[in-house]
Parts: sequence; C-alpha cells; structure tokens
Amino acid sequence: MRNSDGPVPEKKLMNARPCATPELTDQDILEAMKEVSGYLDITPGDLREVYLSAYRLAAKRLWGDRKARDAMTREVRFVSPDTSLEDAARLMGRSGISGVPVLDDSKRVLGVISERDFMRHMGKGRSGSFMEIIAECIGAKSCAVLPIRGGKVSDLMTSPAHTVSEDAPLSEVADLLTKRRINRVPVTESHGLLVGILTRGDLTAISL
Amino acid sequence: MEYFSKMRGTTQSPPRVRISEVLWSWVGAFLGISAVASIHYHILDRTGLVMIIGSFGASAVLIYGAVKSPLAQPRNLLGGHVLSAVIGVAAYQLLQSHTWAAASIAVATAIALMHLTKTLHPPGGATALIAVIGGEKIHALGYFYALIPAATGALVMLAVALLVNNVPRARRYPEFWW
Repeated sequence: MRNSDGPVPEKKLMNARPCATPELTDQDILEAMKEVSGYLDITPGDLREVYLSAYRLAAKRLWGDRKARDAMTREVRFVSPDTSLEDAARLMGRSGISGVPVLDDSKRVLGVISERDFMRHMGKGRSGSFMEIIAECIGAKSCAVLPIRGGKVSDLMTSPAHTVSEDAPLSEVADLLTKRRINRVPVTESHGLLVGILTRGDLTAISL
Repeated sequence: MEYFSKMRGTTQSPPRVRISEVLWSWVGAFLGISAVASIHYHILDRTGLVMIIGSFGASAVLIYGAVKSPLAQPRNLLGGHVLSAVIGVAAYQLLQSHTWAAASIAVATAIALMHLTKTLHPPGGATALIAVIGGEKIHALGYFYALIPAATGALVMLAVALLVNNVPRARRYPEFWW
C-alpha cells in the first residue's frame, strides 16, 4: 500500500498568512520610495522602522488586549513521542489538521509534529514540498514514504517547540508565528502544561 | 564596541529623484531667490534695509527642492526664520563682547526653540547666526531683523513656492500649513 492513508495536506491552513508581519527588505522600501515623485526626506531604514511599528500598533488595535487564551482551541489532539508515525498521520488526516503537539505523560509539551516535518523527511529533495514528493512518487518507483516507514513521532518532531503562555498578547503570538514561519503554537499554563493550541486560522477568525 | 559600530550606518541613501523634479526645483529656486534678490537690490538697497540673507539659499533647497519635507512646510519656514532671528538678535545684544559665545548660544538656542515650537527649519540656524556675525548693517537693524528680512523674505519665498510647486501635476505644496 502506498501513501494513500497519509495525511492530506491542509492547504488552506498552510497558505493562510493573515497576521504575518510583512517581511520588508530595504529594496522594497527603496522601490516604493521611487514610486513617489519628489524627494522624501527620510532614509529607507527609518521608513521601514516607522512602517513596522505602525503595523504593530494596528495589530494591537485589531486584536486589542486579547490574550492567547481568548483565541486558542482548547480541545487539542496530541500525540506522544512513542506514537507511531502511521498513527500520528492517521490522527491528523482524520481530524483535518496539519500538526499536533507532542506531549509527555504529564502533558508537558515536548515538541510539535506537522505535515512539514513529515515532508521534510520524505522524498529526496531538500525543500520538503508536497509537490516535490508527488513528483517523485509519480516519476520513480521509489515510494516517498520509505525513509520514514516504521518510525516514531520522536524521530520527526520539531523539538523543543516554541510555546506561548496563556497570557501572551495575540499580537506577540502573531509575531512569533511569522518570525519562526510556523503555523501553530502550543499554549501552556504557568507550569508548562498544555492548555490549548493557537493557529494562524484562530488569529484570523478573531480579527474578523 | 556598540559605540563605534554605530558609526558604520545601517541603511542606504534615498533614491535619486526624477529629472522633472530636478527641473522644477531649479525653476522654483530661480524664481524665489530672484524675488527676494530683486527686492533687495532694486528697492531696499538705498534704505539701509536688507531683504536677502544667506539662510534663504538654504530655505530654497527645502521649499523648492524637498517640498514634501516636514522641514519645508510654511509653519517651519516662517516660524523657523522669525523665532531664530529674535534669538540671534537677543544673543548678540546680550553678549556682543564675546562674539563666539553669542554665535554659539544663538544657534543652539534657536534649534532648541524651533524643536519646542515644532518649527524646525535648518536655515533658521543660519538666520540666528547671521544676526550675530552679519556685520554692521545687520546689527543696526536690531529686532527689526526679525521682521525684515526674516519674516518678509520668508513670506516672499513662500508665495513663490505656493505658485510654482503646484504647477506640475505630480507636485503639491504645502503638506500642511500649521
């Protein structure tokens, strides 16, 4: 049997970048300045700084003083480090989610495992993109899933995972997701135990 | 050493403006300085009054060459020249026996006052300095220096800026009045 029961990548979630702080290069700023006719009495560096700090204020206005706990999903599906990769993939596929936290017996967060972790270890390409794996599967006889067959969650998970506390302001969470290029972050209480999970989708939902 | 590494700079120079911007800057400066220079040489010269001072050259850079700059707006142009002129005259009259101190206190205080009144206009520093080092003719004006040439010259240059800077479609002036 090939990879048919594996997780179907949730493209909707992966592409949603609602709260991304735009990554502006100096070149972007310089080009934008060129589009304005007339001499702008400001350096590209300063303009960028002003833009980003205005963006942060806008984010704060959108999400107000709301904290991680106000937007997080409380019913979290999770796996343990010893869960087989097959079970983890089935769980994610069945629930239609693209990543789950990895918890120890006391519900402490050990890491996160996501579609991206699977894809990074499948196929030969380095980018770990879904389409690259598809291409490999179609084009060659080798199955993309071979390298990870029989593995455990602990083989693939990203660990340690970034976590946020329940009290973290949503604007900070948005910042973290963007800077680390991740799609979800586990939310923990003061002793480090998992209480929820916050995705990019949760952030868009609350800002609408 | 963070102190020294700060001296390397962090960003790059803003882009060069279009050629039309260069031409309109030239036209504005030509007309603006023509106006104050004509008044000076054709009307005021025989009266002992002054209409043109060096700092107007610097104002021309801003109000004809960088028309969007906050430093080039009417509030800054007028406020900067007039307030700095008053400071300069006061510094000269109080400290004329120590010209170096009068000069430095005039410029430094002018900058502080322009900051506090949100009228920062770099040529104002020159207007304050000229009040001290500008020679007999300027000293003889006393506080009248703040009215003519500072206020009047700035007003004439402002009028030219309003007329010229709003001709091209891609330009407008001012960004704000007050």
